[in-house]
Amino acid sequence: MSLHTSLRRSAASATSRLPTTPSSTTFICTQCRHATLLRRPKRPYTFTQLITLSDGSAYMQRTTSPAPVYRSTRDTRNTLLWNPSSSKLMSVEDDEAGRLAAFRAKYGRIWDANTPAAAAEEGAEKKSGDEAAAAAAAKAQAEAEAQEEEDNLLDLISSFGQEETQAGDKKKKN
Amino acid sequence: MAASESSRYLARSLPRALAQNSRSLGFCWRRNASNQAADLSELESDGSLSTAPVSEEMVKSYDPIANSKGRKKQLPRSRYQFRSPKYDRGPLHPHQPPPESDPSSRLYVPGPFMLPRTEQTWQSTVASDILTLCYVHNPPGFKPPPKAPRLRSWDDSSPYHKNRQLRGPRGGDVLRLLRKPITFNNIPKLDRITIHSYVKGAAQEHSGWIHVAGMAVQAISNARVTTFKSRTSVATWGIAPGRDTVAVKAELRGEDMHHFFGKLVDVVLPKVKDWEGVKGTSGDSSGNITLGLEPAHIALFPEIEVNYDMYPPRMIPGAHITIHTTANTDKDARLLLSAMGIPFHGKLVD
Repeated sequence: MSLHTSLRRSAASATSRLPTTPSSTTFICTQCRHATLLRRPKRPYTFTQLITLSDGSAYMQRTTSPAPVYRSTRDTRNTLLWNPSSSKLMSVEDDEAGRLAAFRAKYGRIWDANTPAAAAEEGAEKKSGDEAAAAAAAKAQAEAEAQEEEDNLLDLISSFGQEETQAGDKKKKN
Repeated sequence: MAASESSRYLARSLPRALAQNSRSLGFCWRRNASNQAADLSELESDGSLSTAPVSEEMVKSYDPIANSKGRKKQLPRSRYQFRSPKYDRGPLHPHQPPPESDPSSRLYVPGPFMLPRTEQTWQSTVASDILTLCYVHNPPGFKPPPKAPRLRSWDDSSPYHKNRQLRGPRGGDVLRLLRKPITFNNIPKLDRITIHSYVKGAAQEHSGWIHVAGMAVQAISNARVTTFKSRTSVATWGIAPGRDTVAVKAELRGEDMHHFFGKLVDVVLPKVKDWEGVKGTSGDSSGNITLGLEPAHIALFPEIEVNYDMYPPRMIPGAHITIHTTANTDKDARLLLSAMGIPFHGKLVD
Protein backbone atom coordinates (compact mmCIF):
# COMPACT_ATOMS: atom_id res chain seq x y z
CA MET A 1 0.00 0.00 0.00
CA SER A 2 2.72 2.38 0.99
CA LEU A 3 4.63 1.55 -2.18
CA HIS A 4 1.57 2.27 -4.22
CA THR A 5 0.97 5.64 -2.62
CA SER A 6 4.57 6.65 -3.02
CA LEU A 7 4.45 5.74 -6.67
CA ARG A 8 1.36 7.83 -7.13
CA ARG A 9 2.93 10.70 -5.33
CA SER A 10 6.06 10.55 -7.42
CA ALA A 11 4.01 10.36 -10.58
CA ALA A 12 1.98 13.37 -9.49
CA SER A 13 5.12 15.31 -8.69
CA ALA A 14 6.63 14.29 -12.01
CA THR A 15 3.59 15.49 -13.87
CA SER A 16 3.60 18.71 -11.94
CA ARG A 17 7.24 19.26 -12.71
CA LEU A 18 7.33 17.99 -16.27
CA PRO A 19 3.93 18.27 -17.84
CA THR A 20 5.28 17.57 -21.31
CA THR A 21 6.41 13.96 -20.54
CA PRO A 22 3.53 11.97 -19.07
CA SER A 23 4.56 8.86 -17.09
CA SER A 24 3.01 5.81 -18.72
CA THR A 25 2.76 2.36 -17.22
CA THR A 26 2.72 -0.69 -19.45
CA PHE A 27 0.78 -3.65 -18.13
CA ILE A 28 1.79 -6.93 -19.66
CA CYS A 29 -1.40 -8.88 -19.35
CA THR A 30 -1.24 -12.04 -21.36
CA GLN A 31 -3.52 -14.88 -20.60
CA CYS A 32 -1.70 -18.01 -19.62
CA ARG A 33 -3.20 -21.37 -18.86
CA HIS A 34 -0.76 -23.87 -17.52
CA ALA A 35 -1.56 -27.50 -17.72
CA THR A 36 -3.02 -28.95 -14.55
CA LEU A 37 -1.79 -32.36 -13.52
CA LEU A 38 -4.71 -34.71 -13.01
CA ARG A 39 -3.59 -36.63 -9.96
CA ARG A 40 -5.03 -40.05 -9.47
CA PRO A 41 -6.97 -40.09 -6.20
CA LYS A 42 -5.35 -42.29 -3.61
CA ARG A 43 -7.46 -44.39 -1.37
CA PRO A 44 -6.65 -47.23 0.98
CA TYR A 45 -7.55 -50.79 0.12
CA THR A 46 -10.82 -51.78 1.71
CA PHE A 47 -12.28 -55.15 2.55
CA THR A 48 -15.82 -56.21 3.20
CA GLN A 49 -16.28 -57.17 6.80
CA LEU A 50 -19.13 -58.79 8.65
CA ILE A 51 -19.76 -57.13 11.99
CA THR A 52 -21.53 -59.33 14.49
CA LEU A 53 -23.04 -57.49 17.40
CA SER A 54 -23.38 -59.04 20.81
CA ASP A 55 -27.04 -59.92 20.34
CA GLY A 56 -26.26 -61.86 17.19
CA SER A 57 -27.35 -59.31 14.62
CA ALA A 58 -24.87 -58.84 11.83
CA TYR A 59 -24.23 -56.41 9.04
CA MET A 60 -21.59 -55.84 6.40
CA GLN A 61 -19.31 -52.88 6.07
CA ARG A 62 -16.30 -51.77 4.10
CA THR A 63 -13.22 -51.39 6.21
CA THR A 64 -9.47 -51.30 5.99
CA SER A 65 -9.26 -54.17 8.46
CA PRO A 66 -8.50 -57.47 6.72
CA ALA A 67 -10.41 -59.56 9.26
CA PRO A 68 -13.47 -60.99 7.51
CA VAL A 69 -15.59 -61.15 10.64
CA TYR A 70 -15.58 -58.86 13.64
CA ARG A 71 -17.35 -60.08 16.74
CA SER A 72 -18.02 -57.31 19.17
CA THR A 73 -18.36 -58.09 22.84
CA ARG A 74 -19.53 -54.68 23.87
CA ASP A 75 -21.78 -52.57 21.69
CA THR A 76 -25.02 -50.67 21.73
CA ARG A 77 -26.98 -53.82 22.44
CA ASN A 78 -25.46 -54.49 25.85
CA THR A 79 -24.48 -51.06 27.08
CA LEU A 80 -26.57 -49.30 29.67
CA LEU A 81 -26.30 -45.90 28.02
CA TRP A 82 -28.11 -47.16 24.94
CA ASN A 83 -30.56 -49.32 26.93
CA PRO A 84 -31.51 -47.16 29.89
CA SER A 85 -34.65 -49.14 30.65
CA SER A 86 -33.00 -52.53 30.66
CA SER A 87 -33.03 -53.80 34.22
CA LYS A 88 -30.74 -56.62 33.20
CA LEU A 89 -27.97 -54.14 32.52
CA MET A 90 -28.88 -52.01 35.51
CA SER A 91 -28.02 -54.63 38.13
CA VAL A 92 -24.37 -54.21 38.78
CA GLU A 93 -23.62 -57.34 40.76
CA ASP A 94 -19.96 -58.07 40.20
CA ASP A 95 -19.71 -61.80 40.29
CA GLU A 96 -16.95 -62.47 37.83
CA ALA A 97 -15.38 -65.26 39.86
CA GLY A 98 -18.70 -66.95 40.47
CA ARG A 99 -18.36 -66.76 44.25
CA LEU A 100 -21.87 -65.51 44.80
CA ALA A 101 -23.20 -68.21 42.52
CA ALA A 102 -21.26 -70.82 44.43
CA PHE A 103 -22.60 -69.48 47.67
CA ARG A 104 -26.13 -69.63 46.38
CA ALA A 105 -25.58 -73.13 45.08
CA LYS A 106 -24.51 -74.17 48.52
CA TYR A 107 -26.90 -72.26 50.75
CA GLY A 108 -29.80 -71.35 48.47
CA ARG A 109 -31.17 -67.97 47.58
CA ILE A 110 -32.78 -67.24 50.91
CA TRP A 111 -29.94 -65.00 51.99
CA ASP A 112 -30.93 -62.31 49.55
CA ALA A 113 -34.53 -62.44 50.63
CA ASN A 114 -34.48 -58.73 51.42
CA THR A 115 -33.72 -57.77 47.80
CA PRO A 116 -36.70 -57.65 45.43
CA ALA A 117 -37.38 -60.96 43.75
CA ALA A 118 -37.22 -59.63 40.20
CA ALA A 119 -33.81 -58.09 40.73
CA ALA A 120 -32.53 -61.30 42.23
CA GLU A 121 -33.86 -63.26 39.28
CA GLU A 122 -32.14 -60.93 36.85
CA GLY A 123 -28.99 -61.03 38.89
CA ALA A 124 -29.01 -64.78 38.42
CA GLU A 125 -29.63 -64.33 34.70
CA LYS A 126 -26.81 -61.89 34.34
CA LYS A 127 -24.41 -64.27 35.99
CA SER A 128 -25.31 -66.84 33.41
CA GLY A 129 -22.97 -65.04 31.04
CA ASP A 130 -20.10 -66.59 32.91
CA GLU A 131 -19.83 -70.28 32.18
CA ALA A 132 -18.90 -71.41 35.65
CA ALA A 133 -21.57 -69.22 37.08
CA ALA A 134 -24.09 -70.65 34.65
CA ALA A 135 -23.28 -74.18 35.69
CA ALA A 136 -23.45 -73.18 39.32
CA ALA A 137 -26.79 -71.47 38.80
CA ALA A 138 -28.20 -74.52 37.07
CA LYS A 139 -27.04 -76.69 39.91
CA ALA A 140 -28.51 -74.20 42.34
CA GLN A 141 -31.88 -74.37 40.65
CA ALA A 142 -31.83 -78.15 40.67
CA GLU A 143 -30.88 -78.22 44.31
CA ALA A 144 -33.41 -75.55 45.11
CA GLU A 145 -36.13 -77.69 43.65
CA ALA A 146 -34.88 -80.66 45.60
CA GLN A 147 -34.55 -78.83 48.90
CA GLU A 148 -37.71 -76.82 49.00
CA GLU A 149 -38.55 -78.02 52.50
CA GLU A 150 -35.25 -76.86 53.88
CA ASP A 151 -35.72 -73.51 52.21
CA ASN A 152 -39.09 -73.14 53.82
CA LEU A 153 -37.48 -73.81 57.15
CA LEU A 154 -34.75 -71.32 56.36
CA ASP A 155 -37.45 -68.81 55.52
CA LEU A 156 -38.70 -69.09 59.05
CA ILE A 157 -35.24 -68.57 60.46
CA SER A 158 -34.37 -65.69 58.18
CA SER A 159 -37.27 -63.62 59.41
CA PHE A 160 -35.70 -63.78 62.83
CA GLY A 161 -32.44 -61.89 62.19
CA GLN A 162 -33.15 -59.93 59.05
CA GLU A 163 -30.89 -56.97 59.83
CA GLU A 164 -27.85 -59.16 60.31
CA THR A 165 -28.41 -61.05 57.09
CA GLN A 166 -28.89 -57.77 55.26
CA ALA A 167 -25.56 -56.47 56.51
CA GLY A 168 -23.89 -59.74 55.62
CA ASP A 169 -25.35 -59.67 52.16
CA LYS A 170 -24.10 -56.16 51.57
CA LYS A 171 -20.66 -57.21 52.69
CA LYS A 172 -20.78 -60.05 50.24
CA LYS A 173 -21.75 -57.72 47.47
CA ASN A 174 -19.08 -55.21 48.27
CA MET B 1 4.01 -51.95 -83.57
CA ALA B 2 7.21 -50.26 -82.81
CA ALA B 3 6.28 -50.04 -79.20
CA SER B 4 5.59 -53.76 -78.99
CA GLU B 5 8.83 -54.51 -80.76
CA SER B 6 10.75 -52.38 -78.38
CA SER B 7 9.09 -54.04 -75.42
CA ARG B 8 9.98 -57.44 -76.78
CA TYR B 9 13.58 -56.40 -77.14
CA LEU B 10 13.48 -54.93 -73.68
CA ALA B 11 12.25 -58.18 -72.20
CA ARG B 12 14.94 -60.04 -73.97
CA SER B 13 17.63 -57.67 -72.93
CA LEU B 14 16.66 -57.77 -69.26
CA PRO B 15 18.61 -60.21 -67.14
CA ARG B 16 16.98 -63.51 -66.45
CA ALA B 17 16.61 -63.04 -62.72
CA LEU B 18 14.94 -59.72 -63.06
CA ALA B 19 12.48 -61.02 -65.57
CA GLN B 20 11.44 -63.79 -63.14
CA ASN B 21 10.90 -61.28 -60.41
CA SER B 22 8.64 -59.16 -62.54
CA ARG B 23 5.57 -60.71 -60.92
CA SER B 24 6.68 -59.86 -57.39
CA LEU B 25 7.69 -56.41 -58.46
CA GLY B 26 4.37 -55.95 -60.13
CA PHE B 27 2.95 -53.79 -57.39
CA CYS B 28 5.22 -51.00 -58.43
CA TRP B 29 3.57 -50.33 -61.75
CA ARG B 30 0.21 -51.98 -61.35
CA ARG B 31 -2.68 -49.62 -61.91
CA ASN B 32 -5.59 -50.23 -59.62
CA ALA B 33 -8.06 -48.44 -61.77
CA SER B 34 -11.54 -49.36 -62.85
CA ASN B 35 -10.81 -49.03 -66.53
CA GLN B 36 -7.98 -51.50 -66.26
CA ALA B 37 -8.43 -54.47 -68.46
CA ALA B 38 -8.43 -57.00 -65.59
CA ASP B 39 -9.00 -60.61 -66.29
CA LEU B 40 -12.53 -61.28 -65.09
CA SER B 41 -11.83 -64.96 -64.69
CA GLU B 42 -10.72 -64.31 -61.08
CA LEU B 43 -14.14 -63.01 -60.14
CA GLU B 44 -16.89 -65.31 -59.05
CA SER B 45 -19.56 -65.67 -61.59
CA ASP B 46 -22.31 -65.76 -58.98
CA GLY B 47 -23.17 -62.98 -56.62
CA SER B 48 -23.30 -63.45 -52.89
CA LEU B 49 -27.08 -63.50 -53.02
CA SER B 50 -27.16 -66.79 -54.81
CA THR B 51 -24.98 -68.56 -52.25
CA ALA B 52 -26.15 -71.99 -51.18
CA PRO B 53 -27.79 -72.03 -47.71
CA VAL B 54 -25.67 -73.02 -44.72
CA SER B 55 -25.80 -76.64 -43.81
CA GLU B 56 -27.76 -77.79 -40.76
CA GLU B 57 -24.68 -79.07 -38.93
CA MET B 58 -23.03 -75.69 -39.12
CA VAL B 59 -26.13 -74.01 -37.74
CA LYS B 60 -26.32 -76.54 -34.92
CA SER B 61 -22.65 -76.22 -34.07
CA TYR B 62 -22.78 -72.45 -33.93
CA ASP B 63 -23.30 -71.59 -30.24
CA PRO B 64 -21.40 -68.46 -29.22
CA ILE B 65 -22.64 -68.53 -25.62
CA ALA B 66 -21.37 -72.05 -25.06
CA ASN B 67 -18.11 -71.10 -26.71
CA SER B 68 -17.60 -68.14 -24.44
CA LYS B 69 -18.54 -70.18 -21.37
CA GLY B 70 -16.24 -72.98 -22.31
CA ARG B 71 -13.35 -70.58 -22.74
CA LYS B 72 -10.86 -70.96 -19.94
CA LYS B 73 -8.92 -67.77 -20.40
CA GLN B 74 -10.07 -64.28 -21.08
CA LEU B 75 -9.92 -63.04 -24.62
CA PRO B 76 -7.05 -60.67 -25.34
CA ARG B 77 -8.19 -57.11 -25.00
CA SER B 78 -8.55 -54.79 -27.87
CA ARG B 79 -5.38 -53.25 -29.07
CA TYR B 80 -6.77 -49.74 -28.88
CA GLN B 81 -7.09 -48.46 -25.36
CA PHE B 82 -8.03 -44.98 -24.40
CA ARG B 83 -5.63 -43.29 -22.04
CA SER B 84 -6.90 -40.19 -20.38
CA PRO B 85 -4.57 -37.22 -20.82
CA LYS B 86 -2.36 -36.66 -17.86
CA TYR B 87 -2.83 -32.93 -17.85
CA ASP B 88 -5.87 -30.74 -18.11
CA ARG B 89 -4.86 -28.07 -20.57
CA GLY B 90 -7.94 -25.94 -20.36
CA PRO B 91 -11.32 -25.88 -22.02
CA LEU B 92 -10.01 -24.72 -25.38
CA HIS B 93 -7.50 -27.51 -25.82
CA PRO B 94 -8.51 -30.09 -28.42
CA HIS B 95 -7.51 -32.99 -26.19
CA GLN B 96 -9.98 -33.00 -23.31
CA PRO B 97 -9.88 -35.39 -20.36
CA PRO B 98 -13.05 -37.44 -19.91
CA PRO B 99 -15.42 -36.51 -17.08
CA GLU B 100 -14.64 -37.76 -13.57
CA SER B 101 -17.45 -40.25 -13.64
CA ASP B 102 -15.92 -42.02 -16.63
CA PRO B 103 -13.97 -45.11 -15.53
CA SER B 104 -11.19 -44.21 -17.93
CA SER B 105 -10.68 -40.87 -16.25
CA ARG B 106 -7.65 -40.42 -14.07
CA LEU B 107 -9.84 -38.91 -11.37
CA TYR B 108 -12.31 -41.79 -11.31
CA VAL B 109 -13.15 -43.19 -7.89
CA PRO B 110 -15.16 -46.40 -7.99
CA GLY B 111 -18.05 -46.93 -5.69
CA PRO B 112 -20.31 -46.97 -3.82
CA PHE B 113 -19.79 -50.61 -3.11
CA MET B 114 -22.76 -51.20 -0.84
CA LEU B 115 -25.63 -49.46 0.85
CA PRO B 116 -24.39 -48.84 4.38
CA ARG B 117 -26.49 -49.86 7.31
CA THR B 118 -26.77 -46.36 8.77
CA GLU B 119 -28.02 -45.03 5.48
CA GLN B 120 -30.60 -47.78 5.29
CA THR B 121 -31.67 -46.94 8.82
CA TRP B 122 -32.01 -43.30 7.92
CA GLN B 123 -34.08 -44.07 4.87
CA SER B 124 -36.32 -46.63 6.51
CA THR B 125 -37.00 -45.15 9.94
CA VAL B 126 -35.14 -41.99 10.87
CA ALA B 127 -36.33 -39.82 8.02
CA SER B 128 -40.01 -40.49 8.59
CA ASP B 129 -39.59 -40.13 12.36
CA ILE B 130 -37.97 -36.74 12.02
CA LEU B 131 -40.60 -35.66 9.55
CA THR B 132 -43.28 -36.63 12.04
CA LEU B 133 -41.56 -35.02 15.00
CA CYS B 134 -40.95 -31.77 13.19
CA TYR B 135 -44.43 -31.47 11.76
CA VAL B 136 -46.13 -28.24 12.68
CA HIS B 137 -49.80 -28.09 11.94
CA ASN B 138 -51.12 -24.82 10.66
CA PRO B 139 -54.87 -24.56 10.35
CA PRO B 140 -56.17 -23.48 6.97
CA GLY B 141 -56.11 -19.75 6.55
CA PHE B 142 -53.18 -19.41 8.94
CA LYS B 143 -50.75 -16.70 8.09
CA PRO B 144 -47.44 -16.57 9.94
CA PRO B 145 -46.87 -13.26 11.67
CA PRO B 146 -44.55 -11.02 9.70
CA LYS B 147 -41.00 -11.16 10.92
CA ALA B 148 -38.67 -8.24 11.22
CA PRO B 149 -36.03 -8.16 8.49
CA ARG B 150 -32.81 -9.88 9.47
CA LEU B 151 -30.70 -6.94 8.45
CA ARG B 152 -31.83 -3.62 9.86
CA SER B 153 -32.06 -0.58 7.68
CA TRP B 154 -30.72 2.76 8.77
CA ASP B 155 -33.15 5.43 9.86
CA ASP B 156 -32.71 8.35 7.51
CA SER B 157 -31.77 10.75 10.28
CA SER B 158 -28.53 11.58 8.57
CA PRO B 159 -27.93 12.34 4.92
CA TYR B 160 -24.94 10.00 5.10
CA HIS B 161 -27.28 7.03 5.53
CA LYS B 162 -28.05 7.20 1.84
CA ASN B 163 -26.90 4.01 0.04
CA ARG B 164 -25.28 2.69 3.17
CA GLN B 165 -25.16 -1.08 3.61
CA LEU B 166 -27.76 -2.62 5.89
CA ARG B 167 -26.89 -3.14 9.52
CA GLY B 168 -26.39 -6.53 11.08
CA PRO B 169 -28.72 -7.96 13.72
CA ARG B 170 -28.88 -6.52 17.19
CA GLY B 171 -26.59 -7.92 19.84
CA GLY B 172 -23.83 -9.21 17.65
CA ASP B 173 -22.73 -9.41 14.10
CA VAL B 174 -23.42 -13.12 13.66
CA LEU B 175 -26.10 -13.72 11.11
CA ARG B 176 -27.40 -17.17 11.96
CA LEU B 177 -28.71 -19.59 9.42
CA LEU B 178 -32.38 -19.45 8.66
CA ARG B 179 -34.33 -22.44 9.82
CA LYS B 180 -36.83 -23.41 7.21
CA PRO B 181 -39.70 -25.66 8.18
CA ILE B 182 -38.71 -29.29 7.74
CA THR B 183 -40.63 -30.89 4.94
CA PHE B 184 -40.15 -34.00 2.87
CA ASN B 185 -37.35 -32.47 0.85
CA ASN B 186 -35.17 -31.02 3.57
CA ILE B 187 -35.10 -33.72 6.21
CA PRO B 188 -31.79 -33.44 8.05
CA LYS B 189 -29.24 -36.10 7.20
CA LEU B 190 -25.55 -36.66 7.52
CA ASP B 191 -23.59 -34.47 5.16
CA ARG B 192 -19.97 -35.22 5.94
CA ILE B 193 -17.73 -36.20 8.81
CA THR B 194 -14.41 -34.57 9.49
CA ILE B 195 -11.81 -36.35 11.58
CA HIS B 196 -9.23 -33.88 12.72
CA SER B 197 -6.28 -34.61 14.90
CA TYR B 198 -3.77 -32.14 16.25
CA VAL B 199 -0.57 -34.00 16.97
CA LYS B 200 1.41 -32.29 19.66
CA GLY B 201 4.46 -34.49 19.38
CA ALA B 202 4.93 -33.70 15.71
CA ALA B 203 6.15 -30.22 16.51
CA GLN B 204 7.84 -31.00 19.77
CA GLU B 205 9.63 -34.24 18.95
CA HIS B 206 9.80 -35.68 15.44
CA SER B 207 7.71 -36.28 12.38
CA GLY B 208 7.04 -39.89 13.27
CA TRP B 209 4.08 -38.71 15.26
CA ILE B 210 2.38 -37.24 12.25
CA HIS B 211 3.00 -40.37 10.20
CA VAL B 212 1.50 -42.61 12.84
CA ALA B 213 -1.44 -40.27 13.27
CA GLY B 214 -2.03 -40.22 9.54
CA MET B 215 -1.95 -44.00 9.31
CA ALA B 216 -4.28 -44.40 12.27
CA VAL B 217 -6.79 -41.90 10.94
CA GLN B 218 -6.62 -43.45 7.49
CA ALA B 219 -7.21 -46.89 8.97
CA ILE B 220 -10.29 -45.88 10.90
CA SER B 221 -11.75 -43.73 8.14
CA ASN B 222 -11.03 -45.52 4.81
CA ALA B 223 -9.81 -42.23 3.40
CA ARG B 224 -6.51 -40.53 2.75
CA VAL B 225 -5.61 -37.80 5.18
CA THR B 226 -4.37 -34.33 4.44
CA THR B 227 -1.78 -32.70 6.63
CA PHE B 228 -1.72 -29.16 7.85
CA LYS B 229 0.95 -26.79 8.97
CA SER B 230 0.57 -24.50 11.89
CA ARG B 231 -0.69 -21.04 11.12
CA THR B 232 -0.11 -19.48 14.49
CA SER B 233 2.85 -19.18 16.76
CA VAL B 234 2.55 -20.63 20.22
CA ALA B 235 5.83 -20.58 22.07
CA THR B 236 4.84 -23.11 24.72
CA TRP B 237 3.84 -25.66 22.11
CA GLY B 238 6.91 -24.92 20.07
CA ILE B 239 5.10 -24.13 16.86
CA ALA B 240 5.77 -21.38 14.38
CA PRO B 241 3.65 -20.45 11.39
CA GLY B 242 4.40 -22.48 8.31
CA ARG B 243 7.21 -24.45 9.90
CA ASP B 244 5.69 -27.47 11.53
CA THR B 245 3.24 -29.96 10.18
CA VAL B 246 1.01 -30.39 13.15
CA ALA B 247 -2.36 -31.81 12.15
CA VAL B 248 -4.01 -34.44 10.01
CA LYS B 249 -7.55 -34.36 8.73
CA ALA B 250 -9.71 -36.83 6.89
CA GLU B 251 -12.93 -35.73 5.32
CA LEU B 252 -15.51 -38.41 4.72
CA ARG B 253 -18.50 -38.24 2.47
CA GLY B 254 -21.00 -40.71 1.16
CA GLU B 255 -20.32 -44.35 1.75
CA ASP B 256 -17.16 -43.91 3.82
CA MET B 257 -18.95 -41.50 6.08
CA HIS B 258 -21.81 -43.88 6.75
CA HIS B 259 -19.49 -46.79 7.44
CA PHE B 260 -17.46 -44.69 9.82
CA PHE B 261 -20.53 -43.39 11.59
CA GLY B 262 -21.94 -46.88 12.03
CA LYS B 263 -18.65 -48.17 13.37
CA LEU B 264 -18.32 -45.26 15.75
CA VAL B 265 -21.79 -45.56 17.18
CA ASP B 266 -22.23 -49.31 17.28
CA VAL B 267 -18.81 -50.56 18.20
CA VAL B 268 -16.51 -47.87 19.53
CA LEU B 269 -18.51 -45.52 21.72
CA PRO B 270 -20.11 -48.33 23.81
CA LYS B 271 -16.63 -49.56 24.67
CA VAL B 272 -15.54 -46.22 26.07
CA LYS B 273 -15.49 -46.50 29.85
CA ASP B 274 -17.70 -44.10 31.78
CA TRP B 275 -18.80 -42.21 28.70
CA GLU B 276 -21.92 -40.24 29.36
CA GLY B 277 -22.57 -39.12 25.81
CA VAL B 278 -21.80 -36.11 23.72
CA LYS B 279 -22.00 -32.87 25.61
CA GLY B 280 -25.27 -31.08 25.07
CA THR B 281 -23.46 -27.80 24.57
CA SER B 282 -21.50 -29.14 21.63
CA GLY B 283 -22.27 -27.72 18.24
CA ASP B 284 -21.59 -24.61 16.21
CA SER B 285 -25.25 -23.50 16.20
CA SER B 286 -25.57 -24.28 12.52
CA GLY B 287 -26.10 -28.00 12.69
CA ASN B 288 -22.59 -29.40 13.04
CA ILE B 289 -21.75 -31.35 16.18
CA THR B 290 -18.26 -32.18 17.36
CA LEU B 291 -17.12 -34.83 19.77
CA GLY B 292 -13.64 -35.64 20.92
CA LEU B 293 -11.99 -39.02 21.26
CA GLU B 294 -8.92 -39.64 23.34
CA PRO B 295 -6.03 -41.82 22.15
CA ALA B 296 -7.30 -44.74 24.23
CA HIS B 297 -10.66 -44.46 22.51
CA ILE B 298 -9.14 -44.33 19.04
CA ALA B 299 -7.38 -47.57 19.91
CA LEU B 300 -10.80 -49.19 20.36
CA PHE B 301 -11.61 -48.99 16.66
CA PRO B 302 -11.63 -52.51 15.18
CA GLU B 303 -9.17 -51.53 12.46
CA ILE B 304 -6.63 -50.49 15.04
CA GLU B 305 -7.43 -53.34 17.40
CA VAL B 306 -6.81 -55.94 14.70
CA ASN B 307 -3.35 -54.56 14.04
CA TYR B 308 -2.55 -52.86 17.29
CA ASP B 309 1.11 -53.80 17.25
CA MET B 310 1.67 -51.76 14.11
CA TYR B 311 1.19 -48.50 15.95
CA PRO B 312 3.57 -47.27 18.61
CA PRO B 313 1.18 -47.15 21.56
CA ARG B 314 2.38 -43.75 22.69
CA MET B 315 1.76 -42.22 19.30
CA ILE B 316 -1.84 -43.20 18.67
CA PRO B 317 -3.58 -39.85 18.26
CA GLY B 318 -6.73 -38.48 19.73
CA ALA B 319 -9.18 -36.88 17.36
CA HIS B 320 -11.96 -34.40 17.04
CA ILE B 321 -14.83 -35.77 15.04
CA THR B 322 -17.14 -33.20 13.54
CA ILE B 323 -20.40 -34.51 12.19
CA HIS B 324 -21.77 -32.10 9.63
CA THR B 325 -25.47 -32.45 9.04
CA THR B 326 -27.73 -30.73 6.59
CA ALA B 327 -29.75 -29.37 9.49
CA ASN B 328 -29.54 -25.65 9.99
CA THR B 329 -29.81 -25.60 13.74
CA ASP B 330 -28.16 -27.63 16.46
CA LYS B 331 -31.52 -28.74 17.73
CA ASP B 332 -32.38 -30.49 14.50
CA ALA B 333 -28.89 -31.92 14.25
CA ARG B 334 -29.17 -33.32 17.76
CA LEU B 335 -32.53 -34.81 16.93
CA LEU B 336 -31.03 -36.53 13.93
CA LEU B 337 -27.96 -37.79 15.75
CA SER B 338 -29.88 -39.09 18.73
CA ALA B 339 -32.15 -40.93 16.33
CA MET B 340 -29.06 -42.39 14.68
CA GLY B 341 -27.74 -43.56 18.04
CA ILE B 342 -25.55 -40.89 19.60
CA PRO B 343 -26.53 -40.11 23.19
CA PHE B 344 -26.34 -36.59 24.56
CA HIS B 345 -25.92 -35.55 28.14
CA GLY B 346 -26.04 -32.40 30.16
CA LYS B 347 -27.81 -29.22 29.36
CA LEU B 348 -28.87 -29.11 25.73
CA VAL B 349 -28.09 -25.76 24.17
CA ASP B 350 -29.96 -25.08 20.97
